[in-house]
Amino acid sequence: MSWSRVTALLGKELTDLRGRPGIFFPGLFTGGVAILLPVFVAILVPAFTGERLADSADLRLAVEFYRQQPGARALAPEAAIQASLFQQFLVLLVLSPVAAAMSIAAYSVIGEKQARTLEPLLATPLTTFELLLAKTLGAFLPALALSFVCFAVDLAVAGLFAEPGVAWALVAPRPLGVLFLMGPMASLTALSLAVCVSARVNDARSAQQLAALVVLPITALLIAQIAGGFVVTIPIILLITGGLALVNVALLRLGVSLFDRETILTRWK
Amino acid sequence: MLQAESLSKTFGPRMAVDHVSFDVRAGEIFALVGPNGAGKTTTLRMLAGLIRPSSGAVRFHGSVGFLTEAPGLWDRLTVRQNLKVHARLHGLPRPDRAVDAAMELFGVADRAADPAAVLSKGLRQRVALARTLLHDPGAVLLDEPTSGLDPESARDVRDLIVRLRDERRAVLISTHNLDEVDRLADRVALLNTRLVALDTPQSLRARAFGARVRVRLTGPAEAHAHTLGAAGLTDIRADGHTLSIGIDGGASRTPEIVRRLVDAGAGIEAVEPEEPSLEQVYLRLLNGPPEGGPYVRGES
Repeated sequence: MSWSRVTALLGKELTDLRGRPGIFFPGLFTGGVAILLPVFVAILVPAFTGERLADSADLRLAVEFYRQQPGARALAPEAAIQASLFQQFLVLLVLSPVAAAMSIAAYSVIGEKQARTLEPLLATPLTTFELLLAKTLGAFLPALALSFVCFAVDLAVAGLFAEPGVAWALVAPRPLGVLFLMGPMASLTALSLAVCVSARVNDARSAQQLAALVVLPITALLIAQIAGGFVVTIPIILLITGGLALVNVALLRLGVSLFDRETILTRWK
Repeated sequence: MLQAESLSKTFGPRMAVDHVSFDVRAGEIFALVGPNGAGKTTTLRMLAGLIRPSSGAVRFHGSVGFLTEAPGLWDRLTVRQNLKVHARLHGLPRPDRAVDAAMELFGVADRAADPAAVLSKGLRQRVALARTLLHDPGAVLLDEPTSGLDPESARDVRDLIVRLRDERRAVLISTHNLDEVDRLADRVALLNTRLVALDTPQSLRARAFGARVRVRLTGPAEAHAHTLGAAGLTDIRADGHTLSIGIDGGASRTPEIVRRLVDAGAGIEAVEPEEPSLEQVYLRLLNGPPEGGPYVRGES
């Protein structure tokens, strides 16, 4: 494998994306929702109703549970509940890069074919593995950057509007693990899947719809966590991250075996 | 020399290319012509290594440049960026220098910073040609290089193709433009899944129609057809003031024809070899392939 060829195509992908800012709208929208929802639930609603979260009997359990985490015991009850809610919605933030990059990945191979740029590309020494790796990274890196930006905004919002100590609670190992380990790996899985599908179907919408199925487990995780049925602990984060890393390697290999140059060149119109 | 050795390609039950053999020599423009679906693009793709032949082999020592039917430029990237990506994909040691040289050579240096989307079709084709030659290939495959271009752009591209021949590259063009083939090609292969004919344009003309001479007279030609018939010439057509005569013995019989006509009192305005258009040759060869397999000459 030649990294020089991978970075050459990756550079092209990133340059190309700069001309299509609209493609990031779904990711920005999801990220925005993930940032605003806890603000609405934990700050605005109590402010308008005049009732503090700590006064609610339903949320006392959350406080008790949250305070079991290291570094959270010092938080005041109101801050602990706010921190708990901000952390719950961080899982939703994991969806934003996936949403942003899904259409990029889904169009990765089909887009080249439709623009009739694939054949000249295949006439170079670029291997299938290098092509798919560059395509996956081309969708993943902007998505990762987006999730970092969203998290920075989330921290700033928590720092400005939430109780003292809430923003610091968000940079604890558990939320950081969700955002920077599990999130990127899940994102990479979705994108690898989208690139695989893009290399196999001749319709970008099919690729996008099939690959979007990866959002379902993340959504289920979010719902389970909010419902209190499941808590994403650090060992679980590490387990999921490791599992997804293996899945990603397998998906890249699968993509190479699914990529049929002859069919793509001769039968896709 | 780029060699296709008994190349065949099947797609499912359909035979797209059937045991096609030819070679393209250094410093030669070799044209591949044939109807739609004849297997021209498939042959080019096999020669470029994009798809594997079902049987047969491609032999060439060196790199091959392939100009695809569509220019295939990334619209949002500038001309320079388009070329630089390909220069890096080819692993050129100094991609910027190679790109500058290619842009200069193909007259697109002043458009280096323009996005490909804003270029005219002719300029896009120039950039695509520059991209094809970035890695200095010894053999160049051009699929419909002037398709859809205005006459001036087409002429520019043809000039570039001639330049490639002058640089001693093996040049193979696939085209429907028979006028272009007539102007450019040293040899022509007529493909219709199988190889129907392969030779120089001139020899293909002779093969399809035989050698003919046209004599324009000052008066009606009909009367003088009999004069020539009496001299043993059998393939004579009279049309108004013009005689068209088949000359199996080649051009050496022309002085004798002129002498006999003059002796018979004919006034001669002009004598010229009669050349059917390559389109006529193409249609005749395609619709009536020679018996006993393809007509192939000039292969080494």
